[in-house]
Amino acid sequence: MTDPQIAIMMLAIFILTIFLGFPVAFTLMAVAVIFGYYAYFDADRQWRSYDRAVEKSENATPEMIQAGEVPGMLELTGEWFGGFLNNRIFDLFVNQTYSVMSNDVLTAIPLFLFMGYIVERANIVTRLFDTLYVTAKRLPGAMAVAALATCALFATATGIIGAVVTLMGMLALPSMLRANYDTSFAAGVICAGGCLGILIPPSIMLIVYAATSNVSIVQLYAGALFPGFLLAGLYMVYVVGRAALNPKLAPKPPADETDELTAVDVIVKLITSFFPLAILILAVLGAILFGLATPSEAASLGALGGLLLAIAYRSLTWDRLRESVYLTMKTSAMVCWMFVGSWTFASVFSWLGGEALIEEFVLGLDLTPIQFLIMAQVIIFILGWPLEWSEIIIIFVPIFLPLLPFFEIDPLFFGILIALNLQTSFLTPPMAMAAYYLKGVAPPGVELAQIFKGVMPFLVLILIAMVMVYNFPGIYLWLPNAIYG
Amino acid sequence: MIATIHLIDRLTSWFGRAFAWCIMIMTFGVAFEVFSRYLFNAPTAWAFDLSYMMYGAIFMMGGAYALATNAHVRGDFLYRLWSPKTQGRVELTLYIIFYFPGVLALIFAGWKYAERSIRFTEVSVMSPAGMPIFQFKVLIVAAGVLLFMQGIAQVLRCLWAIRHGEWIGHDEDVEELEDIMLREAAEKGLGPAADRPK
Repeated sequence: MTDPQIAIMMLAIFILTIFLGFPVAFTLMAVAVIFGYYAYFDADRQWRSYDRAVEKSENATPEMIQAGEVPGMLELTGEWFGGFLNNRIFDLFVNQTYSVMSNDVLTAIPLFLFMGYIVERANIVTRLFDTLYVTAKRLPGAMAVAALATCALFATATGIIGAVVTLMGMLALPSMLRANYDTSFAAGVICAGGCLGILIPPSIMLIVYAATSNVSIVQLYAGALFPGFLLAGLYMVYVVGRAALNPKLAPKPPADETDELTAVDVIVKLITSFFPLAILILAVLGAILFGLATPSEAASLGALGGLLLAIAYRSLTWDRLRESVYLTMKTSAMVCWMFVGSWTFASVFSWLGGEALIEEFVLGLDLTPIQFLIMAQVIIFILGWPLEWSEIIIIFVPIFLPLLPFFEIDPLFFGILIALNLQTSFLTPPMAMAAYYLKGVAPPGVELAQIFKGVMPFLVLILIAMVMVYNFPGIYLWLPNAIYG
Repeated sequence: MIATIHLIDRLTSWFGRAFAWCIMIMTFGVAFEVFSRYLFNAPTAWAFDLSYMMYGAIFMMGGAYALATNAHVRGDFLYRLWSPKTQGRVELTLYIIFYFPGVLALIFAGWKYAERSIRFTEVSVMSPAGMPIFQFKVLIVAAGVLLFMQGIAQVLRCLWAIRHGEWIGHDEDVEELEDIMLREAAEKGLGPAADRPK
């Protein structure tokens, strides 16, 4: 077996182990260390120290024995065991671990997570939904519009999808069902809206992609902003359009006390609920985009702002703070340990020639850039069925990244396509997190099949957004070029 | 056996949670840097070092805690379909082949790395403050040891699951908001708890 074949075997074993359900981060580490031991095996280096000791003991003169300079049995055994540890894989492994620990892009992750967990617990979602509902009251499908906007804003602030979908599933879904909205339509809006947080900056997924691909996180945020708005806009147009064309999907609710609210009341409501969160997000994002602060600095301000917001809404209790702190740690550990394994794995894989083999194979297919792009996105889409975004970005995307220069594809563009694409990984079975979360809290009678049916049109919209971004590069290029020239 | 598992859980979780509070230091420290730079025109010499040290400490020391509370990503769409006994058998094998080698490497190689750093009390070259950095490198070993201990607890959990056909949970834990809500909804008789991913 040649080395590149062994590299492919390493990848195959790893993928098999993922499918057996073992925590991915540790599998990566162990597979990398085991195969790395083989890859960097160097008999000379391994036994050098032992051989020297043996030689010394064999050529010992009586004077040396007298002086106690000759290694005894114990020391020889020690050297012999030590030899096994004398393999470059261990140095590589520790060095990669340390480079994850001191990576200045990933530092933003715990801070953004912390901000997200605090905001998530700040009782903000009810106010936000109520306010946006009265604001949007005149639009067709007002409740769906409000739900979508709440989801988008809240998901952007928290960056984590589970919470917003369950919160909205408890709050907005029953309201919409009471107002006789179509179940599928209402469920689809919440699921799709809740996933926008991984695309619209400051998204954690983009930080992870930046650390994987070495694209500047600032450029990536600038690039992803308009595609994010584009997708949210498409969703909004779809919701309003369908509700207008088919009022049965979203009937106008009967008159109630909210009809009597004056414009001033609505503005007061907006000022106390919508604007604080919106301004917090804009401040964080603005500070990053205009170069006033690094992403980690902006994230720490965001976390501080989140704390103040929670205090202002009188929802910051000791328990909630504690929960947020611990959850921040758990989620950071989940993401970052995967980097520890993945970087070591990638080094070993490419040292064995696996990367070159894949390169040769893909280039041998003689694809045009667009064919390659479609192939890559289809693979990522399919990986999104069983896997989570973090696994895909940290482990599988690095396989594609070295191929991009051959097809002259901008890694920034590729990242934005992935961010759009991975929206679908939360929405498609069998691991449609968003749908399952919603199902878990939905009132009885809401079936998974109905949720999936409601999600379908949004999948089409995601595809449309991807095609638009491909055809009009200005959507993602304009902002980075305008700010950074 | 249960007592041992819970003892290890409590130990690793205690360390994990103690280091989790680094996020507060990190938030205030880094935010202070921004205020200090713009309001007082006095950038700090230590904030950058502080930020990655806190971040590194949070995730490294959280590894075992996350493992104990099943927070690490796993592609468990097949795994979920098996009985606890099968799950236990598969997991036990995988822990031995695909867990301990990596963790042991982390401990031994990490020690070699950290020891060198301690010997000349290494300081950071990233910022003028010259913050000591050797203690940060020791975290690699510490994280490895915590993971090793947690690994033993996980192996015991597998053995228990093989013998008794049920898993032993972590005795006290914080949950994601969505998990809390899903559980409460399930208790109220909404949405089936069975067909959702853990």
